[in-house]
Amino acid sequence: MNPFEIITSALEAIKINKLRSTLTALGVIIGVAAIILLISISAGLQNYISAEFEKLGTNSLFIIPGKLEGSFGGGPPRSVNKLTFRIVDRLEREKNPAIVDVSPFIEIAVTARFRNESKVTTMAGAKETYFEEAQVKTNKGRLFTASENKTARRVTVIGPTLAKDLYKGANPIDKDISISGKNFRVIGILEARGNVGGVDADNYLYVPLNSARKLTGADQVNSVVVRTASTEVIPQAKEHIQKILDRSLSEDDYTILSQEQLLSTILQILGVLTAALGGIAAISLIVGGVGISNIMLVSVTERTREIGLRKAVGARPRDILTQFLAEAVILSVSGGAIGVLVGYLGSLAISNFIQTAVPFWAVALGLGFSSAVGIVFGVAPAIRAARLQPIEALRSE
Amino acid sequence: MNLVTTSSLTKYYGQEDNRVIALDGVSLKIQKGEFVAIIGPSGSGKSTLMHILGCLDKPTSGSYKFAGEEVSGLSEDSLAQTRNKKIGFIFQSFNLLPRTSALKNVELPLIYTRLKLQESQERARLMLKKVGLEERLDATPAHLSGGQQQRVAIARALVNDPLVVFADEPTGNLDSKTSAQILELFQNLNKEGRTIIMITHETDVAKVAKRIITIKDGKIVKDFKNKPKKMTGEKRKGVV
Repeated sequence: MNPFEIITSALEAIKINKLRSTLTALGVIIGVAAIILLISISAGLQNYISAEFEKLGTNSLFIIPGKLEGSFGGGPPRSVNKLTFRIVDRLEREKNPAIVDVSPFIEIAVTARFRNESKVTTMAGAKETYFEEAQVKTNKGRLFTASENKTARRVTVIGPTLAKDLYKGANPIDKDISISGKNFRVIGILEARGNVGGVDADNYLYVPLNSARKLTGADQVNSVVVRTASTEVIPQAKEHIQKILDRSLSEDDYTILSQEQLLSTILQILGVLTAALGGIAAISLIVGGVGISNIMLVSVTERTREIGLRKAVGARPRDILTQFLAEAVILSVSGGAIGVLVGYLGSLAISNFIQTAVPFWAVALGLGFSSAVGIVFGVAPAIRAARLQPIEALRSE
Repeated sequence: MNLVTTSSLTKYYGQEDNRVIALDGVSLKIQKGEFVAIIGPSGSGKSTLMHILGCLDKPTSGSYKFAGEEVSGLSEDSLAQTRNKKIGFIFQSFNLLPRTSALKNVELPLIYTRLKLQESQERARLMLKKVGLEERLDATPAHLSGGQQQRVAIARALVNDPLVVFADEPTGNLDSKTSAQILELFQNLNKEGRTIIMITHETDVAKVAKRIITIKDGKIVKDFKNKPKKMTGEKRKGVV
């Protein structure tokens, strides 16, 4: 039997039962469309995150206390945080040309008070360079300066929620605020940023790093951002930092992350998520395959006489096998192709709300998977057809 | 030349304690160019014999040589090849593919050969012309009369130019007038040299053959030369 005959006779058989074939293919259509849609959403999200990181620039390194194992896991409890100012200050003193700026960051829970209003909040101590790094701007007033940090002035920039809660609509600029019992002067109010990394950033108050140290006597650093001269010198900067830190810390006490590493960690998590969602969608494709198997078995039973006749006029078992397998594969592959189209259109529709992208490999995966489903689930009915004895088949009514 | 040679063919069905004997030691020879009718009541084993002679089934014991080749030693694929190239079948219920044109039905045996599509089509067309249906090439079985359907089936049986044509109760589903036309067609085909083996339970039908073999309880009980009854079905244009 030549390939042309195989395909035309399979198409004839599918055409004869139009409604049944359509319903059978529907299972595969839904499965493939779901896979394409989920992948397109996830791919869009990855593109979006990558673009945002690009905006931040790639010439920074992050130092955090403790060992970051694999892709997941948070930092160590505070008691085992060995990243102290005594060690971090050495980075500042022993800067090499690759390192432009060293900016430690601490966070401490405090009580902020204005007259009778008080609120528990988080005080962040940072250098003036932090605001640029983190792309934080003021809405009113100004940010603190390098000299205010150096001289540990008691000034603070507060988040808009905190401002509203403490000052009840009055202008807080140049007003006093009591932080852990010491008076600070409010010099600016930040733009509303909402939820950043799971915390309400609008409730924060920022003070110069040195003021925070003086106020609390804090010894441990939450994180350090190191700006390098360029992206190319990141490896040198990293090596230099390691050399300094290794003098007093073991390698389990800290982790140095680059933007790229952070990005790849996030993308890795997204990848796992995509695979999990894709796996769920693949289950529906398997259900579609069972549908094909079912309908092909019905078809073999219905066409027992036809199979007998074909055998009587000279069809070999493998001719019958190929014919029925071709029907199953054509059903599933055309279902797959329609599913790709439906998934693509769905992703176009969603792209009005969130960024989506249909990568070429997703299309290939959808089509490949659907033809595999056709073969796997079509083979049992086809073998059954091929094994029918010609006289038994001819006798059946 | 002996086309069919069997010796002590037996065929049993079922398990030992519940065994049905369909054929009980059949030995016979059929030569090229013969027109044989195998006649017997239902249950006599005549259909089983035809299935074995047609390479659709294998005997339980005994030997069967078709065109000089021992059939019991052939693989399933070789049997398929033999049926495809050397045997044509005509059935009582025509067994045409529904919703498929007459031309496509006649082409069916040829799609299992290496023949080019165009050549297959041409041969199928010529064969339908030979049985007088050149104007109904695209008609599906539902649009053809019983006699026309059987003519399509005959064209299908002849399209691969077989050594022998097996006909299993070919007139069983036809009225007497149409039956006469079909049997006349058989006689004419036999005159052209085609070997025909026909199974029937009707004496009238068997009388058109040149040799009549009577089978009963799985055994040959009579085997004699017959002076064929001349069929005078209405002459039609283009019919052989």
